[in-house]
Amino acid sequence: MNRLVSILWPAFVVGGAAEVVFFTVVAPQELYFFGEAVELGPLATYTIGFFLFWCIAAASSAFTVFLQKSAEEINRCPLEPRERPPGCPKAEP
Amino acid sequence: MSDAPVLEERSLYEVHQKIYPRAVHGWFAAWRWALVVATQLVFYGGAWLTWNGRQAVLFDIVHRRFYIFGLVFWPQDVIYLTALLVLSALSLFLFTAVAGRLWCGYACPQTVYTEIFLWVERLVEGDRNAQMRLDESDLSFNKFLRKTVKHSLWIGIALWTGITFVGYVTPIRELLGEIRSLSLGPWEMFWVGFYGFATYGNAGWMREQVCKYLCPYARFQSAMFDRDTMIITYDAGRGEPRGKKKSAGAGDCVDCGICVQVCPTGIDIRKGLQYECIGCAACVDGCDQVMDKLARPRGLIRYSTTNAMEEGWTRREMLRRLLRPRVLVYSGILLGVTLLAGAALYARVPLKVDVIRDRAAIAREVEGGSIENIYRLQIMNTTERARAFTIEVSGLPTIRLAGESTAGIAAATSRVVPVKVRIDPAQAAPGTYPIVFTIRAIGDDAVAVHEKSVFIVR
Repeated sequence: MNRLVSILWPAFVVGGAAEVVFFTVVAPQELYFFGEAVELGPLATYTIGFFLFWCIAAASSAFTVFLQKSAEEINRCPLEPRERPPGCPKAEP
Repeated sequence: MSDAPVLEERSLYEVHQKIYPRAVHGWFAAWRWALVVATQLVFYGGAWLTWNGRQAVLFDIVHRRFYIFGLVFWPQDVIYLTALLVLSALSLFLFTAVAGRLWCGYACPQTVYTEIFLWVERLVEGDRNAQMRLDESDLSFNKFLRKTVKHSLWIGIALWTGITFVGYVTPIRELLGEIRSLSLGPWEMFWVGFYGFATYGNAGWMREQVCKYLCPYARFQSAMFDRDTMIITYDAGRGEPRGKKKSAGAGDCVDCGICVQVCPTGIDIRKGLQYECIGCAACVDGCDQVMDKLARPRGLIRYSTTNAMEEGWTRREMLRRLLRPRVLVYSGILLGVTLLAGAALYARVPLKVDVIRDRAAIAREVEGGSIENIYRLQIMNTTERARAFTIEVSGLPTIRLAGESTAGIAAATSRVVPVKVRIDPAQAAPGTYPIVFTIRAIGDDAVAVHEKSVFIVR
């Protein structure tokens, strides 16, 4: 949960800023996908654009979070022995 | 960061104890409510004002035009948005330097909506103790009913907030008409739901966690503090050692714990300034009430500065430090940018022109041997009435327009006008020459724009 929030929340803020900057400069009618004019309505384009920016920023955040894992977490199981799920190879006998 | 124990890091969001802030009355609580009412009058009410037969404040992103009362902003006016952001940032710096997190405590939507949602919660579930009892009790009809009513009210407020939010993009009267006739567009429906859900989640469930874990301002606000910033301070010299009213040698703090109970972020201000403190002054009001009952002077917890506390300054001495360089510099820049932006806005010509050279035909010879270049002028009439414009061109001998030299543009729209520009042969050797288009509103010479372009002779 903590990780999910650390990925999604900063990405939301950055995605929102990117959306505003991008669509201030570019009108939705000026967009082309693979040479075809985008035929969605402006609201649809803005919405999809926002989620696209959010996803891109989230991918970056996720990568950061992934690289932030400490040596402790990578080398050993991060869960306390009693917290490990049943069937886990590292679960206590 | 990476050295932090793993378990503690994971518990950041998981082991969250619900905070039940106790209701508080007093000077600062009244101010907070006044700001709740003021900000929400502006937000909920602003969407309903009309101006010139349209919604007064409308961010018409579909037509890429922002209307704010008499002003119409186009994407080309993005500089004013930048100015607005700069002004907001500077105001935040100024307020923070003067009296800490005033924004957080009184005006931030997170605080305002939490305040509204807390009010609903108290209305339905009773005061702090009743809420705690209710949450601990087993499920009963009473509990079910109260929870249902509370969440329904919350969802109602959240939905209305979402509708108002979208109402600034799609005119709110049209939007409500669409809702009534069940013909709401899918994207509008989505954004009403999204914003409504965010309001419900943030004000109903997340509350102080937004401030503690999500807000970037909370992390860097201390950079704007100095020793003369008024912050919410516990007067330890007067309060300590804590003790019962009658015990000998005890300070003024009777350790009643009210300041902790009223705190929306659940901290103990007596431990000193903490980044969780949103500067809402609920503890000031709470403590003042207790001091009144004990017949002791108010202000055991109060707005004060580090210097004032250490030097034992009076209020007047403390306020004199308001005129310190940091505050003066922030105020100066703020005033400068405000005047600059205001002057620019006042002097703004309600006409914009983009000149686009026709790239297909660079220069061609026409009848009589004249040389012709073709341009497309995008003329934007940013007023709210139709206007006609004259087009002139200058910069070369014998330069002239061939064909139409006037253009009518409807209110708040733009139109692309193709124009042919010619010069006599032998007026210029092959090359590129700067020319100027002058577009002038007929009947108002003050509304004129000069746009540069080039004329090419081959």
